[in-house]
Amino acid sequence: MSPPSVSVAGVSVRFGDRTALHRVDLEARSGELVALTGPNGSGKTTLLRVILGLTEPSEGTVRISGTPTADLTTRERARRIAWVPQEELPRDNVRVLHYVLYGRYAHQPSFGPESAQDREIASGALAEVGLADRADQGVFELSGGERQRLLLARSLAQEAPVLLLDEPTAHLDIGFQLDLLERVRGLVQGRGVCAIAALHDLNLAGRFADRVVVLSHGRRVADGNPAEVLTPPLLREVWGVDADLKRDPRSGQTYLLPRRLSDAARGGIARGVRRGPVHVVGGGGAAGPLLRALADEQYALTAGALPLLDSDSEACEELGVPYVAEIPFAPLSDEVRARHRAMMDAARAIVVAPFAVGPTNLANLEDLAGRASSVPVLVLDPTPGAVRDFTGGRATELLRQLAAEGAVGVPDASAMLRILSEKLSGAA
Amino acid sequence: MREAGPSATPRSPRRALVIVLGVGALLLILSPLLTPVPIPPTIVLEILFHGLTHGVLFRSPCGSGFSATQCATWTLIIWQSSVPSILLALLAGAALGISGATLQGTFRNPLADPYLLGISSGGTLGAAILLIFKIGVGEENLALPLFAFGGSLATGLVILAASRLLQGSLETLLLVGVALANILSAVLSVVLIFNPNGSIQVSYWLLGGVGGATWGRDGIVLGGLLMATGPLVLYGRELNVMQLGPDVAKSLGVDTERVRIRLLLLASLATAVAVAFTGIIGFVGLISPHVARRLWGADYRWVLPGSLLIGALFLVGAGDLGGVFVPDVVLPVGLFTAFAGAPFFFLLLLRHRRAAYMGG
Repeated sequence: MSPPSVSVAGVSVRFGDRTALHRVDLEARSGELVALTGPNGSGKTTLLRVILGLTEPSEGTVRISGTPTADLTTRERARRIAWVPQEELPRDNVRVLHYVLYGRYAHQPSFGPESAQDREIASGALAEVGLADRADQGVFELSGGERQRLLLARSLAQEAPVLLLDEPTAHLDIGFQLDLLERVRGLVQGRGVCAIAALHDLNLAGRFADRVVVLSHGRRVADGNPAEVLTPPLLREVWGVDADLKRDPRSGQTYLLPRRLSDAARGGIARGVRRGPVHVVGGGGAAGPLLRALADEQYALTAGALPLLDSDSEACEELGVPYVAEIPFAPLSDEVRARHRAMMDAARAIVVAPFAVGPTNLANLEDLAGRASSVPVLVLDPTPGAVRDFTGGRATELLRQLAAEGAVGVPDASAMLRILSEKLSGAA
Repeated sequence: MREAGPSATPRSPRRALVIVLGVGALLLILSPLLTPVPIPPTIVLEILFHGLTHGVLFRSPCGSGFSATQCATWTLIIWQSSVPSILLALLAGAALGISGATLQGTFRNPLADPYLLGISSGGTLGAAILLIFKIGVGEENLALPLFAFGGSLATGLVILAASRLLQGSLETLLLVGVALANILSAVLSVVLIFNPNGSIQVSYWLLGGVGGATWGRDGIVLGGLLMATGPLVLYGRELNVMQLGPDVAKSLGVDTERVRIRLLLLASLATAVAVAFTGIIGFVGLISPHVARRLWGADYRWVLPGSLLIGALFLVGAGDLGGVFVPDVVLPVGLFTAFAGAPFFFLLLLRHRRAAYMGG
């Protein structure tokens, strides 16, 4: 029997003292669609990145059709493994066909032009995902769902036997989710590709995958066919969610209906469950440590309104926290403020970092007015008249008003986490 | 809708090329007419034409009414000063243009430019050290560009090392470049303060100009330019893929680390040959790629040679503007690129501010 298309053996990944993956084994064969699932931070993306060669494992090996990936050049790897990232925002309005031709890079000779064959393969890939008539348009003209299909077409153009998909449906509505996964399913059967897809939606995973692999805290906790793996006990154990197993009367397929957080998770004990969202107002590096502390506690986060290129906005990028940004040294525009307010409206709690307030970002404090009455607002280090007020007392005045409306002053990050946990569990 | 970035299919890239080349030809014909010494335009054209057909060294006839001495002086001015200056502007502009395009692509940053990243300053410092301490002998030897290359390459490598340290955070990298440029110019100031003899010459040169052009220097710049751009234009496809981000680029088969080092090396070389003889000329590297993208689209296989072309014409044009507005003084061309470039930089910031919303 030929070696499996993908073979991951004893792979561990450590970032500093944090273990992202712990001795994970995984095998996948051609013609097989494997769903990789698990709560946020369980190591799905890290595992895909290790297979891709983007992250070096601390121990263990990855083999593609028997060859260790460590022995392959970047180019050789690209001919064997194709990747569909979660989301890719093109920077330039490149022609659609052109974008798919990028997938041919590893097949083209160095510095050579693309051949007629390359164009033919790219056009074929576009046709396969149903975008043939869009070939000459710019990628900016595509919708979100079409853009994911574009990425799928580019990965097809790579003609790689292994296809990795990282939450390919995360930003799509339900119709596009089904459409995309049906296409992937078709490719696996039609082309005999070996596909591994990180998927959040367990019912989608159960419906499309041949096998489901569940990761939790960097360990593989289940591997098997969907009906065996996706059970209420597993959901309770891994996700901290109580669910019912239902049967679709028409298809006969089973599906999970999540009811509520399990009792254990309610107390905030179960890690891996996202709480919040908590919105952090900051800038100038004041929010970074708080964001990290909150992210470690698995809070879903948003942040704003930060200057671009600021260390706070970089912390957001690093942690994958959505944020509203303004160009540095410019006053917050109405558009930015509106987006920022919308973000705060969605938050279940707001943390105000001890950021320096000047005329350009005073609006951040103004937009907080009145919020303390509806959600918990925590203000870090609320020393009145501290040096961080560069608005001639205006900021201090706003902070004082905020306190009068019920905002809570907290001295440091650990106090913030404690109070936040109390406030949010009380509200639930 | 995202508005940043040029449209997918530029309306007519070929027509744009023809127009740009036409404007270029016109500029090249008109530029020698704008000499600091007033010479009748018809005589200038006559001297140029005669030189082209009979060889530069032969004395041109200037028609009736002008003495032979007068005519010989004019010939000398045009062929030994005007024409080499225009050529230097052309070559230096080309070098800065393609260097800017390369850096913008390498760092995926539309605001990258050899000047803003400190690579120009590094080159200047290298060259200034040579000028002040008179390490080289003649004026036309290779020492000046070599020292400049040393300086700009060292700066480029520091930036690259910083990029490794800061892993993936290219925006921070730009700020590192800005800081580096400031440190380098401070070092240069210190060197100048302690060596007042060379400082007037160096200070004028720092403003950026093509006044010191000679045929020999033009030859050196051309050689360096060919060495840098020959390989550079081959990297269009890699740069295209690299715009998708390092992870995606790697997954598509581009060895991003290796390619980035090579591109940085070549961009440093291109910057160094320009800076060595012209001093710091800012904004050419910033503006040219944007104009090229407008005309020919975002494909780096077009953007690289396009920026070379636009950069060349931009610098020649800036020199002409100097000749038009201040006809009696040879003003450093760097002043004019700054006048045109700084507002453009501001416009870019405004435009990318809108794009940043869409990304964030």
